[in-house]
Amino acid sequence: MAVSLSKGGNVSLTKEAPGLTEVVVGLGWDPRVTDGQEFDLDASVFIVGENGKVLNDGSFVFYNNKTSPDGNVVHQGDNRSGAGDGDDEQVNVNLSGLSQEAKKLAFAVTIHEADGRKQNFGQVSNAYIRVLNKADGKELARFDLSEDASTETAMVFGELYRNGEEWKFKAIGQGFAGGLAPLASNFGVNLG
Amino acid sequence: MALSLSKGGNLSLSKEAPGMTKVLVGLGWDARSTDGQDFDLDASAFLLKADGKVRADSDFIFYNQLKSVDGSVEHTGDNRTGEGDGDDEAIKVDLSKVPADIDRIAFTVTIHEADARRQNFGQVRNAFIRIVNQDNNSEVARYDLAEDASTETAMIFAELYRNGAEWKFRAVGQGFAGGLKPLAESYGLKF
Repeated sequence: MAVSLSKGGNVSLTKEAPGLTEVVVGLGWDPRVTDGQEFDLDASVFIVGENGKVLNDGSFVFYNNKTSPDGNVVHQGDNRSGAGDGDDEQVNVNLSGLSQEAKKLAFAVTIHEADGRKQNFGQVSNAYIRVLNKADGKELARFDLSEDASTETAMVFGELYRNGEEWKFKAIGQGFAGGLAPLASNFGVNLG
Repeated sequence: MALSLSKGGNLSLSKEAPGMTKVLVGLGWDARSTDGQDFDLDASAFLLKADGKVRADSDFIFYNQLKSVDGSVEHTGDNRTGEGDGDDEAIKVDLSKVPADIDRIAFTVTIHEADARRQNFGQVRNAFIRIVNQDNNSEVARYDLAEDASTETAMIFAELYRNGAEWKFRAVGQGFAGGLKPLAESYGLKF
């Protein structure tokens, strides 16, 4: 049963999906019908080590770096308007292939050029981010961005983290001012 | 004390004013016209299902159709010059009477004959929408529209919407350059 998360919510995947090996992070929203620039939401994943920072710059998977160095995290492509039914962006994650150094995976969603376009999640219709169990397509967790992150422009949705042999999911729902760049720096990515 | 919303923000009316059922949605603006022609802004409400569309033409409440079929939404009348302080137009909503299949009510403002009169929202200042609790006349929430919208001639100011068992209010402030027609069409009305 999918857990719908409001800010600060939490879910343990241990019972929801024992032996979880692969997940899909899905991001969806409705295209804009009112005037103004398109809403362009972007999903990204940070593969993080013990120190809370990315293992290397390639471990920041996003629209300009679609495959992690070990090939276990793969972004399926940038959707710039939200056109299309279901998830508009997806990132596939093979948990079982990750090295032991990878302690956590942080999932984030940002609005492209939010400050310049004066946009936030509340202006977007039906924006959500979710985590699916790839094996059976079941939704494990979901966050309603339009409703619960309404004045934010960038957000860390949650983290998958190792717990012994298993992976657990922690909901975070923490907003970030300034967008993807400061968010990536926060995880130790060198933006050059 | 009224809560002030910024664009995209939302708040729970059920939490801010527990037990409130009778709401007055007040809309106001200052219009500055440079060519002497009347500046006639019209407030409307659209009763929408969960899919964001009206059920029928009767779900479009405006100056020529002042009351919804079930009496839940009532427009208090057309103000053609913007005269008078405070709300320029007001729409009453009885939340307890809104039919179960109506998920949202969108509050919009359009400029009458905008194209013919060559008018747009760029000439409108100090636009606001507010929620007043009719039981005690207190202002519960307010959204002051700050941005210029110079190419738009129809604007969605805000929405009242259901979220589970609650009623919430969301500040929208988004519009259409083509006026009432694309706005109404986006809600499923056909011309």
